[in-house]
Amino acid sequence: MSDFDPGRRRFLGHLGLAGLGALGASSFLSACASSASGPTTGKGSGAVTIQSNLSSPQAKEAMEKLIANFNAQGKGSASLNTIASETFRTQLPTYLTSANPPDLYTWYAGSVANDYASKNLLLDVSDVWKSMGDYPQSLRTLSTEASGKQIFMPMNNYWWGFFYRKSNFAKWGVQEPKTWTEFLALCETLKSKGVPPIGIGLGDTPWVASAWFDYLNIRINGAPFHRELLAGKQRFDDPKVKAVFTRWREALPYFDPKGKAYPFQEATTALLAGKTGMFLIGTFFADAAPKDALGDLDFFRFPIIDPAVPLAEEAPTDGFFASAKTANPAGTKALLTYLSGVEAQEAYVKASSGIVLPANPKAKASDSPLVVKGKAMLDEAKELTQFFNRDSSDALQPTADTALTKFLDKPDQIDAILREWQAGAEKVFKG
Amino acid sequence: MPFAVESIWVFWPALQGFWFSLTRWDGMSPPTFVGTDNYVELAGDATFRGALLNTVIWLVLFGGLSVLGGFGMALVLQKERRGVGFYRAALFTPVVFSLVVTALVWRVFYQPDGIADTLLRAVGLEHLIRPWLADPQTALYAVILPALWRQIGYVMVLFLAGLKAIDPALHEAARMDGANSWQRLRHVTIPQLKGVNAVVLSVIVIDSLRSFDIVWSLTKGGPYHSSELLSTYMYSTAFQSLRLGYASAIAVVIFVLALAVILGYLVRAFREEA
Repeated sequence: MSDFDPGRRRFLGHLGLAGLGALGASSFLSACASSASGPTTGKGSGAVTIQSNLSSPQAKEAMEKLIANFNAQGKGSASLNTIASETFRTQLPTYLTSANPPDLYTWYAGSVANDYASKNLLLDVSDVWKSMGDYPQSLRTLSTEASGKQIFMPMNNYWWGFFYRKSNFAKWGVQEPKTWTEFLALCETLKSKGVPPIGIGLGDTPWVASAWFDYLNIRINGAPFHRELLAGKQRFDDPKVKAVFTRWREALPYFDPKGKAYPFQEATTALLAGKTGMFLIGTFFADAAPKDALGDLDFFRFPIIDPAVPLAEEAPTDGFFASAKTANPAGTKALLTYLSGVEAQEAYVKASSGIVLPANPKAKASDSPLVVKGKAMLDEAKELTQFFNRDSSDALQPTADTALTKFLDKPDQIDAILREWQAGAEKVFKG
Repeated sequence: MPFAVESIWVFWPALQGFWFSLTRWDGMSPPTFVGTDNYVELAGDATFRGALLNTVIWLVLFGGLSVLGGFGMALVLQKERRGVGFYRAALFTPVVFSLVVTALVWRVFYQPDGIADTLLRAVGLEHLIRPWLADPQTALYAVILPALWRQIGYVMVLFLAGLKAIDPALHEAARMDGANSWQRLRHVTIPQLKGVNAVVLSVIVIDSLRSFDIVWSLTKGGPYHSSELLSTYMYSTAFQSLRLGYASAIAVVIFVLALAVILGYLVRAFREEA
């Protein structure tokens, strides 16, 4: 979601080809329309093709190993296609609507998957779920679309939290806060020591700010309201949403002013170098951290604001869904069954460097203290949310990016910002 | 035959693009016809107006400065003397880089405590330091600069070719008549460059309107649409918001703008010749 990618160059190639920018652009748009010309894949009972956006070296290798293991078992054959994640994101609708689509896709659980399901683009994988009885109800619900069929197979999830360096907290003589008041007091202490308390990275990765919105909203208004809001059943200019920003404003003076200009990867570097105190981020940030710093990392949950609100945490779930038009449903389901098994899930977690929790409850997660703590936090939560874009749609994410970065710059214009946000969201929901 | 190929490759998609601008379409379900709804919405869309204004600013600043800069550099570097090839090559080098690479280089330049900030500190102007790409006041201009850095070299080469084509005898004659260097520039060089000017103008207008990669790689049109151009707005509307009908309407506007500017110039140029 962050780095530039070669796919965009290809888009520009189109512009150049047609000579005139605008002309080229419209020809590109129409190129998608005649979507019959999708990627061509094997027919019938041939190899199952997997379209994967796990393009970081470790994740890619982990996937390659899994597929090799599956092929070695002789229950079917599969081939892996790894694609840069931004290209994958923009091309996914084209893959799914093409006449001869790839069979299986890495993607996210939640409304992003349900949205495709509602357009009848996803394969019913209820058969696979029959062998997944151990999986917790929360994951089953998450993978079930409106008509009651399962359309998603969860592979793993991860969590968000305020990460910090244990050695730095010890040096500054501060402890993890539990409540919002304690949190603000901690910020004040760090500020008085000359450390910008809250790191953030919004340059090029403005979506990181959505974690703040999500968490404040589920802490103040609760997860059900949050989901309804993101589904377009509540309004962004509602006083309840404004209350979120009123709280947020209390923490604004403690944000690292440089955070607006650099991406989250550099915010990670700043945190590790002790240039910021703590950083609300998902565990994927550790991919960019040097190995020796990992042992010094710890985190605390987003502080409690209203103890009456049932505890919810963000736990984005990654996994697979299959195309409804797959020529080889049996093979695809066999592969999914393999991927949902203890062996595959453990192998994946071990091979990928990221801090992730396997979706299969019988599969063992890494036993590092950080992962144990993260798992305990999620187990304790009454509700799990995914993340802003996963609970709504990728189309709604830019409206949040605009509203939230503007709020961080101009907090006194909050009423106008929320009105604009509502207007932008309505356009997205209208289509 | 070439016309048939051209029709399939260019005109048919363009017409289709126009048709999509009259529909509502998410790229998956079939498009539904909505008449001129998209254009009505465009008229009331503040982000679109901002993007249009930014595109005009871009056209004027990027276009104007690259012509002035490129022409100036061509004049300075047109005479063959020792080392001039090095300077020409140095100015042309940025053209060779992909714009995405250019963006990466400039991002390092603009980053907090980066080269730009260090330079300002060195000359005692640290109060001017700001998050260049994240400040809505500066983001657009911070993106124009790298685009100019590249375009000046390109325009310079076009003008150099034009200058080489001018018969030296014309300058000789003017000098005999006692014209000073300013008068020779004004009355000999510039009129002789008329053909090149048309090419440069077309190139500049087209390049301005299709400027996309540098903006997208540096700011993605942000923060909150402050560096949004029509091209980036079209892209994000189409491929992030998945509103392909509305994005097609923006594409049509870009097309009409390009056509209007270029036709306007060509008509004037032909009239002068007649």
